[in-house]
Amino acid sequence: MARSWSTDSDGPAGFDVREFARTARGSMRDHLDLSSLAEGPLPTEVHDALAVLAVLEAATMPHLRNVLVTHTHKDARVTAFLVTWAFEKYWIADALRAIVDAGTGPSGAPAASAAARAGTAGKAGDRGSSGTASGGRGPVRRALAGLTQGWDVVGAHLALGLVDDLVLRAAYTRVLACSSDAAVHASIERILAVKERHSRFFDEEVRRRLSASGRAARLARRELRRTTWPLGSGAITVAERSAFTQFTFGVAHGRALEDLRGDLAALPGIDVRTVASVLRGLAG
Amino acid sequence: MGFDIDRYTATSVSVHWDDLDLEDFRRHPLPPDSLRTLRYMADVEYHTVCYTRDLLTTPSHREADVSAFMTMWNREEFWHGEALAAVLAMHDVTVDYDVLKANRLKLGWKDRLDPIKQSVMGSLVGADFVAVHMSWGAANEWSAITAYQRMAELEEHPVLAELLRRIAKQEARHVAFYTSQARERLAASSKARKITRFALSRFWAPVGSSINTAADVRHVMTHLMSGPDGRRAARKVDDSISGMPGLGGLTIVQDALDELGIPA
Ligand SMILES: [Fe+2]
Ligand SMILES: [Fe+2]
Repeated sequence: MARSWSTDSDGPAGFDVREFARTARGSMRDHLDLSSLAEGPLPTEVHDALAVLAVLEAATMPHLRNVLVTHTHKDARVTAFLVTWAFEKYWIADALRAIVDAGTGPSGAPAASAAARAGTAGKAGDRGSSGTASGGRGPVRRALAGLTQGWDVVGAHLALGLVDDLVLRAAYTRVLACSSDAAVHASIERILAVKERHSRFFDEEVRRRLSASGRAARLARRELRRTTWPLGSGAITVAERSAFTQFTFGVAHGRALEDLRGDLAALPGIDVRTVASVLRGLAG
Repeated sequence: MGFDIDRYTATSVSVHWDDLDLEDFRRHPLPPDSLRTLRYMADVEYHTVCYTRDLLTTPSHREADVSAFMTMWNREEFWHGEALAAVLAMHDVTVDYDVLKANRLKLGWKDRLDPIKQSVMGSLVGADFVAVHMSWGAANEWSAITAYQRMAELEEHPVLAELLRRIAKQEARHVAFYTSQARERLAASSKARKITRFALSRFWAPVGSSINTAADVRHVMTHLMSGPDGRRAARKVDDSISGMPGLGGLTIVQDALDELGIPA
């Protein structure tokens, strides 16, 4: 059946959300061959990074809450995407937990694996009681702000998704560089393949919306600056977050931070100050 | 008995209809009144993710089980919308994202202020408010099952009946989640029981009331819930709701029908 897909900004939308929803990828457990992990536990830093990634990938609901209290909830194409995105990330997190469990040595779990299972208390993204993914503004303030921001806020929210995606991608890249285990490599490649469509949607939407509207770009700059990265930081401890950013972006590890700088700077309407602010939050 | 969240997530699928002969609707189309009801139902299903927003403005999102459920639940409800849209499409009624968006735009201030109101209430009463949400969700899911069962009975259309049966089967799992959460929280706290009883009797309205016109709500309720059979179905939902701890005697569905002036 023929369907039209116009959006709020100029230009055609290429990403087929309906096709994405129809072909969503669920549990990966049957495809993971983790037998090689039984022979030797994962290096601690890889183990801990994967455990934190499992928490971050699963932390979709607080982010959904934050964006859906605004005008974003009215964009049915975006909400359809987010529903499927959350579903796929749930199963990515599940796969990561499987790897972490298989790669935990017989002596028991290193530091972060408890966090992978645990709920919440005292987390890195918490400021006061709001503990939101985007640092400190509760749903009431977001909803009130949303009243005046209109459609342009959708582009800003998608920019958050895009940057988060870039940050987690950098972490996966580090995991691949730090682990020689074949099972880890195959699993991470599989996860990255699932995430590829998320990246494509965010990238396409953000470019179109931010270049079509100066106001969308302005809101995006503000949201990017006030966010605690990565988005799910509200679900991990301060120590876990700093270990994670150190692992991913620590200066000894080459170009991760510079690559991210390049990707951010290439986004329409994102200025040097905003890029610097995001990177500062990640450099530790 | 508790709800097995791991089992639920592992077996959550999008409702399927590839094997159903939707072309049958070309030969035996549904009457316009039924299409209007179906259209309302599709809107409600697609809108589910927006209700998540309301639920999540309270501490309920902090709990891993609730998060996991919400993730699967959102997707299942989205696909209920898609399934109903496929039936509507056979009658040349298009429900694409632009149509949905236009509908959501019409909601205006009331819809925008809901999360603010909910969150303020939620932070006032804290964790006990989760009991309200879970009980509210249970009431809505019971209503959904009942609506689909009534629709299937009234239409006597075999293809529609089978599709609605599949949808209702998923709604039954949603009921199981919400009731297990609600019962536990209600049983544990007299404050939760008091607040929930108050909120349901004071604020509950038939699913979709906040996203459709009063005329549409009245049409759907008259279509599905009027007459002795409709009332019997409403009573059944009320019996289920009032069977939860502290909610004895509540008749919120029948009260809502009375308020709308739906003939018994
Ligand atoms: Fe449904
Ligand atoms: Fe449901």
